[in-house]
Amino acid sequence: MDELIDRDGKPRPVAAALMSMLDRLGPEELTELQRVAEIEILTMGITFTVYSDGANLDRTWPFDLIPRVISGDEWSLVERGLIQRLVALNHFIDDVYNERRVIADGVFPLELLTGSANYRAQCRGVHPKFGVWAHISGTDLVRDDDGEMYVLEDNLRVPSGVSYVLENRAVAKRVFAEVFQQQNIRPVDAYTDELNKLLSSLAPDGVAEPQIVVLTPGVFNSAYFEHSFLAQRMGAELVEGADLVVGDDECVYMRTIGGLERVHVIYRRIDDLYLDPEAFRPDSTLGVPGLMRAWKAGNVGIANAPGAGVADDKVVYSWVPDLIRYYLDEEPLIPNVPTYRCMYDDERRFVCQNIGDLVVKPANESGGYGILIGNRATATELADAIDAIEADPRNWVAQPILSLSTVPTIIDGAIEPRHVDLRPFILTGARSYVTAGGLTRVALPKGSLVVNSSQGGGSKDTWILDLPADGGP
Amino acid sequence: MALLSRVADRLYWGARYVERAEDTARIVRSYSNMIVDLPIDLLPYSWEPLVAIAGSESLFGEKHGEHAVIEFLVADRDNPGSMASSVACARENLRTTREVLPREAWRALNGLQQYVLAEAERAVERRTRDRFLARVIGDSRRLDGELESTMTRAAPYRMWRLGQLIERADMTTRVLGVRAASILQMKSTDRVDDHDEVQWMGVLRSVSALQMYQRATRGPIEGASVVRFLLFYSQFPRSVRGCLDAMRVVLTNLPQPDAVISVLDQTTATVMACEAHAHDGARLDDAMDEVQHAISELDQAIAQRFLAVGT
Repeated sequence: MDELIDRDGKPRPVAAALMSMLDRLGPEELTELQRVAEIEILTMGITFTVYSDGANLDRTWPFDLIPRVISGDEWSLVERGLIQRLVALNHFIDDVYNERRVIADGVFPLELLTGSANYRAQCRGVHPKFGVWAHISGTDLVRDDDGEMYVLEDNLRVPSGVSYVLENRAVAKRVFAEVFQQQNIRPVDAYTDELNKLLSSLAPDGVAEPQIVVLTPGVFNSAYFEHSFLAQRMGAELVEGADLVVGDDECVYMRTIGGLERVHVIYRRIDDLYLDPEAFRPDSTLGVPGLMRAWKAGNVGIANAPGAGVADDKVVYSWVPDLIRYYLDEEPLIPNVPTYRCMYDDERRFVCQNIGDLVVKPANESGGYGILIGNRATATELADAIDAIEADPRNWVAQPILSLSTVPTIIDGAIEPRHVDLRPFILTGARSYVTAGGLTRVALPKGSLVVNSSQGGGSKDTWILDLPADGGP
Repeated sequence: MALLSRVADRLYWGARYVERAEDTARIVRSYSNMIVDLPIDLLPYSWEPLVAIAGSESLFGEKHGEHAVIEFLVADRDNPGSMASSVACARENLRTTREVLPREAWRALNGLQQYVLAEAERAVERRTRDRFLARVIGDSRRLDGELESTMTRAAPYRMWRLGQLIERADMTTRVLGVRAASILQMKSTDRVDDHDEVQWMGVLRSVSALQMYQRATRGPIEGASVVRFLLFYSQFPRSVRGCLDAMRVVLTNLPQPDAVISVLDQTTATVMACEAHAHDGARLDDAMDEVQHAISELDQAIAQRFLAVGT
């Protein structure tokens, strides 16, 4: 299905004003506007980095001018569903590092926990503020042919993309100024302020004006643009591991031209394993020795908390509906995509027999790596996938192939449908916040379902549109 | 407002690279301008002195001729001192300091970099050269204006200014060391003397000082006074003394600057000791080498005090 156009080729109500404007413009003018937007992106230096052939390439951010539009009513439901999901996931993380009620009660298997690549034994017994571990998450949503929105995956480690939500909007507002004036499109700009408030709330008790830093692996990281963007928008320092030091007092300091200055909250964009060579990989030069000690002593807040990724596992994912019921005693508001877990013999057998009709995913990869789409794979690829599953069943899941909805997209001067997904960003602390919409990613090659920007995906602005009560424009 | 030592380092170098690109544009522009006014047979005038100003003779090697020189100074990415390399380095440094720079300044720098990388070839042909160089100077000025008018006066701004000023002082001494010294060393003949004024005007123009020089001296353009103006006339912001004095003001507003200021005192003394050599080409050249050496010691003092990461 298409997000903007119904089966009869008519614009859906939320897209009526947009589609009539696109008609008025015509493909030629639209292509010209697209070019203006691209120049804008180039001069604003909006980039992302791709690793290719061992080199790091700073590429201009791919943006398609035609937005995805979602009605405010539908979004309100999605918003509640996302908050529900993240509250439950945070209960789960706090539980597995502390009491483990969920295991004692037989809801979640212990062996799955201890065998998880993202479980960090070093975090046992830690009580972060508010019981929250995954403060910032990016949850991928897709819409299937039945019109239903599904959660495809939870990204609880260092999800990226939110800077592009804000930048895409800035560009779209400039190009489509009148449309914004005539319609109630929910603004997205408040995100960085909300993030700032959330991070401030994680400071050790009694600190009135916390020093917040964004910890980046450095300029060669694919999301460096975003790390810099968020630091700019929050007035925070952007630091690398070598800028920080943990003192004898187990407090974190940054090296400034005026000497060492105390740091209260770290928004880290480095993976757990590289955060602290004392606690994790001893060969890591990206992190800060002693950081885990400082965190456990309550001298610094870290978002997301180390170990939060334990719930960001495609096998754990399949338990989330159960976890929502267990912790909140509620029914999930947004369904999961049905998921077959290869660790169970019967489900594995089903996967291996029907592999041509399934998407097979490794449990702990991100960025779309390692995914095999059954009906597009060669016989050899399918056989290799079965071997990989049999060798390490815990680390594989499979799902039916969703069709993913489409949005009209400018392709070589014409408008054609292309498949999209949506990544809203959810902030969880003392209270919750969801971006109005999120990052719409679009698979640019015809028929492709791979939306990752590292693999040829583009992006769109996402409009949450509140229609007047009478339904008119 | 805290400033990370690592960020201080990038701001300082980012500013140096931008200034280097802009000053190179000024020098190439004034040289091109001057050379069309000189008779073709007047030797030893050629384009090679430009390479000497950039201090890159060994890299330049055996090539010669106008196109090769301009290509080398403007577009050649294998020459780390070329304008294209400088703006690329500036962008690479400042890409990692965006959180402390006003957004519009970053935009201006991006525009400058894209223009230089895409259009550098335009500098090679004389008919498009001037427009290209004028645009580069203008874009660099715009970046400076954004910082001047929208950046908080705190440590990040001051590190930027330090980098800009030290590079500017250094470039002015290079112009003096090579251009002025070579004019002073030329054997006096009628043919040469006829064009003396044109050449000194060229020297002044390469640091955009012609009009200010004339207002300050009110007399005919004369070699020794040009040298003095560019070295000592502290009210002129591109004079060596002017740059050093401005650095002093910046330094006193940074934390614990004493060690750097005492090196700055020595640098200033070295500059002032050049007074005796304003008439003598060979000695001026040597004196400028000494000043450049003093400037590089000042650079090291700044690095040691403010930029060293991990101490």
